[in-house]
Amino acid sequence: MTLTTGIMVGGIYALVALGWVLIYKCSGVLNLAMGELTLIGAYVTLSFYAMGIPFVLSILCTLVIGIVLGILVERIFLDRLIGEPILAVIMVTVGLSFFLKGLVGFIWGTDTRVFEPAIFSLKPFTIGFLKISIVYFWSFVLAIVLFLVFVAFFKYTRWGLSMQATADDETAALSLGVSARFVYAASWAIAFMAAGVGGALLGNINGVNISIGYLGLLVLPAVVLGGLNSVPGAIVGGITIGVLQNFAGTYLDAFFPGGVKEIFPFAFMAVFLLFKPYGLWGWIKIERM
Amino acid sequence: MSRVWLPCGDYHQRYAEDQGWWQTNVIKGKMILLLLIVFVVFPLVLDEYWIGVANMVGYTILGALGVQLLIGYAGLITLGHAAFIAVGAYTSTLLILKFPWPQLILDWGLAFPISILVAAIVAGLWSVLFGLPSARVKGFYLILTTMAAQFITVDFILTQYVSKIGGRGQAFSLPPGTIKIGPWVIDTDLKVYFVMITLLALTVMIMANLLRSRVGRAWIAIRDNDIAAETLGINIIWYKLLNFFVAGFIGGIAGAFWVSNCAALSPEHFSWFLSLWLVGVILIGGAGIEGAIFGSIFMVVVMELLQMVAIPLSEYWPKIMFSFAFVKEMAFGLAICAFLIYEPRGLSYRWWQVKNYFNLWPFSY
Repeated sequence: MTLTTGIMVGGIYALVALGWVLIYKCSGVLNLAMGELTLIGAYVTLSFYAMGIPFVLSILCTLVIGIVLGILVERIFLDRLIGEPILAVIMVTVGLSFFLKGLVGFIWGTDTRVFEPAIFSLKPFTIGFLKISIVYFWSFVLAIVLFLVFVAFFKYTRWGLSMQATADDETAALSLGVSARFVYAASWAIAFMAAGVGGALLGNINGVNISIGYLGLLVLPAVVLGGLNSVPGAIVGGITIGVLQNFAGTYLDAFFPGGVKEIFPFAFMAVFLLFKPYGLWGWIKIERM
Repeated sequence: MSRVWLPCGDYHQRYAEDQGWWQTNVIKGKMILLLLIVFVVFPLVLDEYWIGVANMVGYTILGALGVQLLIGYAGLITLGHAAFIAVGAYTSTLLILKFPWPQLILDWGLAFPISILVAAIVAGLWSVLFGLPSARVKGFYLILTTMAAQFITVDFILTQYVSKIGGRGQAFSLPPGTIKIGPWVIDTDLKVYFVMITLLALTVMIMANLLRSRVGRAWIAIRDNDIAAETLGINIIWYKLLNFFVAGFIGGIAGAFWVSNCAALSPEHFSWFLSLWLVGVILIGGAGIEGAIFGSIFMVVVMELLQMVAIPLSEYWPKIMFSFAFVKEMAFGLAICAFLIYEPRGLSYRWWQVKNYFNLWPFSY
């Protein structure tokens, strides 16, 4: 039960982590606003759903809003900072995260809201000897389907290929007629979409409130584990973090009562960085003078 | 090379003069005037409310100085400085409340000053513990480990364990009269102001002295190019850890001061928001110690002004006051973004430009 729940939640983390990795691969931006992107996605979906639109359609609407927001954010804030030092770019995403969090809090308030009527029930069903909650199961399926869609887009379409080219070698891609600005905007749009859907799914499980943003921050341990610029790393990292988190919640809680579940991924990450700073599949940068 | 522009025809004759703090009589006069203003004029002129604001500014400066030391002078980007401030604050409080002080020390009012010192050292050591990964990683990965420091320290250890000491659950509060320096009980905002300004002057003095010594130059070399610094024979791990220690030390002072300001503390005072806020302050302020000072003044005063504007507006739109914390967050986020995009060198660069302009005014070349 612990293991399967962990894997299911990890699938959602993997989806959000994919968005993070795409931004980093394509534009080299280390994004700390990912938590707030998931937050926005959760609330937007909730609003659509509260208007009486079916859940799947609400998710589609969230995707559209994600595209618009992603392109806007990239154009207004990130586009002007290409080539600036790393601290400047990171801090712009931090500023962005404050802005978005404040905006969400201002519009929707701090109360926990739930999807009403509930979309999936929490009742468990059994496959063989496994017991899985329906809500976890469908969230996982939806997350994996979207993950595959994004990966397929990345691999087989023209736009996706141009994004891959830019990620690989920006100068060469530019000389072959790929528009880098388009690629940056597209990567932000995809990140917003992925994080938004991830947020909506997480909101389904626990209800929507500000702490969804914290769950979104868990992508950072996930991507560090998998390697910053590796798409397979995102899925492995996401699922590992989900599993670890649930195991910590179940087994370590007896020894360290309290919030060990929330903290464990970060503690794990801090130790992991000491031994393998570039993650499982990240590119190792060799520095020369 | 001297750091100030000397008037035409003035030259230094000894190397020590190059490193001097106040290199000309005019500068010396200006600085003495500044000290007079902050120590004498402000307490006389400002009313209770603005003294409170000044205390907030002082607390922010004390916190931001540590961040400036890490980010601005050693290039060690930290997003977890609130953890070290929190360690300082909790150490100081626990010492005051739980430590069996001898009656002599209590009578002489030395408990709080000693606790400030101990808090600073403990916070510094705690900071070194989380600075250890900096031996191996840097840049973005270091950001992640400092974030981990924040979550582990504040959200886990302090919230779940330290807060439960004495069975109080959430917050500690200090009974009135326990915070005492010598014969003075620190109970009014004005007295807190004097504590703040003294601590601030001492901290700035320590930091400025460190920065113009061998240690400071080693930090700057590491910031500019750590590999080159290593080839020059600088022990970069030792100096990075020293930097973490001093930054944590200053953070501990800030935390201990917060205790005297607030007389109560709970983990919510040291959330991740505070860490990011301090980094935002130095980004807006710009380089150097004066950057931390300008940034703090700017941010705190701007937020106060925002509140003043929001109060009349809330008559028409009550939501603004009701969720003012969120308005504040939005304003802060926008301010960071705007400064990074339009004014990446921060306020201290503008200050430098203004100073240069008036340096030769009215007869510029």
